[in-house]
Amino acid sequence: MSPRNLLVALAGQPNCGKSTVFNMLTGARQHVANYPGVTVEKKTGFFDLDDTHVELVDLPGTYSLTSYSLEERVARDFLLGDLPSVVIDVADGANLKRNLYLTLQLLEMEVPTVLNLNMMDVVERRGQRVDVAKLQEILGTPVVPTKAKKGEGKEALKAAVKSLVGKAHGPVYKIDYGQLEDHISELEAVLVEDPVLSVQYPVRWFAIKLLEGDAGVTELLTGTHLDAQKVFDRVESCRQRFHKEEGHACERHIAFTRHGSCAKIIRETVTFPEEKRRNLSDRADRYVCNRLLGPLILIAILFVLYEISIVFGNWLALQIWPLWGALESFAGDVLPQAGFLNDPILRSLGLWVVKSITAILNYLPIFFLLFSLIAVLEDSGYMPRMAFILDRLFRRFGLHGQSTLPMILGGVYVGGCAIPGVMATKAIPDERARLATIMIVPMMNCLAKVPLYLILIGAYFSDVAGSTMFFIATVTLFMALPVAKILSITVLKKRPSAPFIMEMPPYHVPTISGVLRRAIERVWLFMKKIVTVVAAVAVVVFVLINYPGLTDSRKAHYEDMQDAAVAAFMADVGRTGFKDEIGSEDVLPIILFGEAIRDAKRAVTDQDRAALIDAEFQEENPAYYAVARRVGKDGKALNKSLKKVIRVRKQIRREARAERFETSFLGTMGRALEPVTQWAGFNWRINIALLSAFAAKENSAATLGSIYGIDGSDQSVQESMKAGEGGFTPLHALALMLFMALYPPCVPASIMVRSQSNSTKWMLFSIGYQTLLGLFVASLVFTGGTVLGLTGVQAMWGFYALCVATTLIMAMIPTPEEKEAVVASNITQVNTIALKEE
Amino acid sequence: MKKRMIVLTLAAMAAFAGQAFAHSPLMSCFDNGDNTITCEGGFSDGSSAAGVKMHVRDGDGKSILEANMNDDSECTFDKPAGAYVVIFDAGEGHTVELNGADIIE
Repeated sequence: MSPRNLLVALAGQPNCGKSTVFNMLTGARQHVANYPGVTVEKKTGFFDLDDTHVELVDLPGTYSLTSYSLEERVARDFLLGDLPSVVIDVADGANLKRNLYLTLQLLEMEVPTVLNLNMMDVVERRGQRVDVAKLQEILGTPVVPTKAKKGEGKEALKAAVKSLVGKAHGPVYKIDYGQLEDHISELEAVLVEDPVLSVQYPVRWFAIKLLEGDAGVTELLTGTHLDAQKVFDRVESCRQRFHKEEGHACERHIAFTRHGSCAKIIRETVTFPEEKRRNLSDRADRYVCNRLLGPLILIAILFVLYEISIVFGNWLALQIWPLWGALESFAGDVLPQAGFLNDPILRSLGLWVVKSITAILNYLPIFFLLFSLIAVLEDSGYMPRMAFILDRLFRRFGLHGQSTLPMILGGVYVGGCAIPGVMATKAIPDERARLATIMIVPMMNCLAKVPLYLILIGAYFSDVAGSTMFFIATVTLFMALPVAKILSITVLKKRPSAPFIMEMPPYHVPTISGVLRRAIERVWLFMKKIVTVVAAVAVVVFVLINYPGLTDSRKAHYEDMQDAAVAAFMADVGRTGFKDEIGSEDVLPIILFGEAIRDAKRAVTDQDRAALIDAEFQEENPAYYAVARRVGKDGKALNKSLKKVIRVRKQIRREARAERFETSFLGTMGRALEPVTQWAGFNWRINIALLSAFAAKENSAATLGSIYGIDGSDQSVQESMKAGEGGFTPLHALALMLFMALYPPCVPASIMVRSQSNSTKWMLFSIGYQTLLGLFVASLVFTGGTVLGLTGVQAMWGFYALCVATTLIMAMIPTPEEKEAVVASNITQVNTIALKEE
Repeated sequence: MKKRMIVLTLAAMAAFAGQAFAHSPLMSCFDNGDNTITCEGGFSDGSSAAGVKMHVRDGDGKSILEANMNDDSECTFDKPAGAYVVIFDAGEGHTVELNGADIIE
C-alpha cells in the first residue's frame, strides 16, 4: 500500500450508527457493490487525510468475528485478506459493554484499531459517563467519542486514523484466558513452526480460534499448513484435556472470559446514573415481545406491510406501466418491420427479450416499497423482535424467525409472488435457515398459480369450491415446513448455522433519507443484476420454444392461407378507385400502417389530439389512410375487406405459433415426459402447459386455454377442458393442482434464487427437487388414490391429514443445533446473559 | 405457547387472503369508427388474456354486455348509445376499467 493511498475498514455491530459514521466521513463519495462471490453488500467511500487518499470500506455489521454467519465471515476475510491499514470500530457508546465484545476480538486479531464511541449524545442524555482517557489507556489503542448524527467528532476520528498509520503500535489489551493460557501457548509453539502461517496470521489469535473450534479457521489451517493433521490432533488433545480439567468446553470458557473482560473494563471506565430507570425501549418491549400481544402486533405489522408493498405496489405498478409499455413500443419501432406470417428473427427475438425485461421492471414499484419498508423495520429495530417472536416455532423446522417475511410475501396463504419473497431472505443472518427459506418460498401460493387452481376447481370441485381453495391454500405450508426440515437435516446440514443471539437494539426512529438511500441502493443493485440475467435466460427460452420450427409442408399450408386472403382483398380492390394505387405488395404495409395509427392513439383520450395524429398519418399516405380509417365509400368497403385479411393474419400467426411451440424442443420434452407423468395422470398436452408455465406461471392457464381451443364467446376454459379431456376425473385435477403448488419457480423467480443463494447449483437444485417432489406427490395422490378407489375429495383430505402428520413428526426430530445442544446453547446463554444485564 | 402460535399464524394467513396479482392487467380500447369498439387485453408479463371476462356497463351501472376475450386477446362489440364503462375482469383486484368517454375515434 503506497503512503498516498490508504485502505481503512469500518467495523461495528448492527445498530451502532455505523452507516451514519460512514456517511459523515465520506459524504456523498460512495458506491455500493457486492463482495466478490457473495450477496453481502460492499459499501465503499472515499475521504482525504491531508494529501492521502483514503478508501473506506464499510464491513457488514456483526456482533462478533466467529464464522457463523455470512456477514461475519465476509468481515473477517476482509480483515485477514485485504489487510486494511486501520480499522475504525464503531461502538454504540450507550451499550458499550455489548459493543466491546467485537472490539476485543479486533484487538485479538492484532489489527490497528481506533475505537469510535458513537452516539455520545444518547450517553449524555441517559446520564452515563465514559472515562475516555482511562479506556484508551486500558485498551492501548485510540478511543474517539463522536456524535455522528450531528456530525461531531469527524476531525478527531480522522486524526486518530492518521496517528495509527505507519507507526508500530504499542502493547494492546490482551484478554487473560486463565486456565486456558497454557493450552494457547502450547498451540502457539506448534503454529510458529509453520513459516507461512506465522507470517500471514496472528499466531495467538489463530490458536484461540482453533481451540474455539471455529470452522473458518479450521479450513484456513487445512489450506495453509503443511501438516494440518498434526495440528488438529494437538488441538483436539488440548480441548479434551481442558474439558476434563475444567468440566466445560473451551468455546464456552472463551466466550465467558471475553464477556467477563468486557464487564471488567466497563466497571473501570463507565459510571451509570444512580437511578437506573428502564428506558423507553425496554418498556416498549414489554408489549412488543409479550407472549400474547407480540404475535398480534407482528400480524398487524405484516398485514400493513403486505397491503402496502403488494396491494398498493400493484396499483402503483399499473400506474407506471405506460412507461415500460412505451419501452416496448419503442423497441417495436426500431426493430425490423413485422412480416405477414413470420417476423424477422431480429424482431421476434428482440421483442421477446424486451418483453421479458419489462415484465420484471413491472415489479420495480413493489420492490421499492418493499425495500423501503424493510429498511424501516431494520432501522427501527423491529427485525430482531420479529425473529424473537417466531423463532421458537420456526427453529423446529430449520427456519429462522425472520423467515416469516419471505413466506408471507411469497404467498403463504394465497396471494404473493416468489420473487420479492426470495429477495427478502437477504435479511436472515443464519445461512442454513436462509437457504432453507429460499428453497421453500417458491412452494408458496403465488397468485400466478391461482388461475390454474380456479380453472380446475371450477371444473372438478365446483360443489366444494370453498373448502378446496382452503385445502390448496394451506396444504402448501404443511408441505413446505417438513421440506424445510428435511433439507436442513440433509443437504443443508453442513451449512453454517448461527447460534441464535437475542440482541435487542434500542428502538430508533428511522430517517427518511436513510430509508430512501437503502431502498434505492438495493433496487439499483437488483436492477443491474436481474436485467442482465433475464436477458440471457430469455434468449435460451426463446430458442427452446421456437425451434426447430415448422416443417416445409406446414409453412406452405399457412402461405396458401395467406395468399388466398390477400387475393380476396385484391379482388375487392379491383372494384374500387384504388385499383391503380394499391397492389398486393401493399397489403402488409397497410395493415402495419393501421397498427401504427392505433399505437399512436393508445392512451390518448383527447379528441383534438387524436385528430392531429390522424392528420399526420393522412398526410403521410392518403391511400393507406383511406383504407385503414374508412375514408369515403371505397375506403369503407376496403376497410371491411381488410379486416378479413387481418383476422386471417392473426389466426395463422396464432396457429403457427401454437404449432411451433408444440413441435419445439420444449414441446418435444412434454411428449417425452409422458411415460413418467402418466403416474401423476398428466398427458403430453398438460406436460406442455406445465413446461410453458416454467417461463411464467400465468402461461399455464393461457396455454391450457389455447390447447383446448377456447373460442372466446360461449365456452369457458373449464368447459372446453372437460370436453377436451374426456377421461379426466377430480383425481387428475387434484394431482395437477398439487403438482402446480410444488412446481419449480418460474424463470424470473429461479433467477432470484440464483442471485440470493449466489450459486447456480442451488438454483438447479431448487428446480430439480421441486419438480421431483411435485411429481412424487402428484403420482402418490393420483396412483395411490386410484388404487384405493378414493374420490377426489377423499384423496384431498387424506393427503391433508398425511401432510399435517408429517409436519408434526418433523417438528419432533431434533435439528442439528439441538444435537450440538451443549455447545451452541452454552454460547447462546453466555450471550443472552450478557445482553440482558444491560 | 406453540399451539397459540399456530392458531395465530393461521389467523394471519386468513387475513392475507386478499387477492392481489403480481402481474398487472392491461387493456386498451379503440373506436373503429364504424360504431364498434375493439378492446385489447393482456398482462404486463406478456401473458395472453384469451378467455378473460369482459363487461360493458351503461351509465346507470347496468350490465349491457358480457363477453370473453377471444384467442387474439381482443373483444369487439357495438358502441353503446349513451355513457358506458368497459371492464376487463381477470378476478378480484385484477380488473381494469375504461370510461367510454375516453375511448375516442
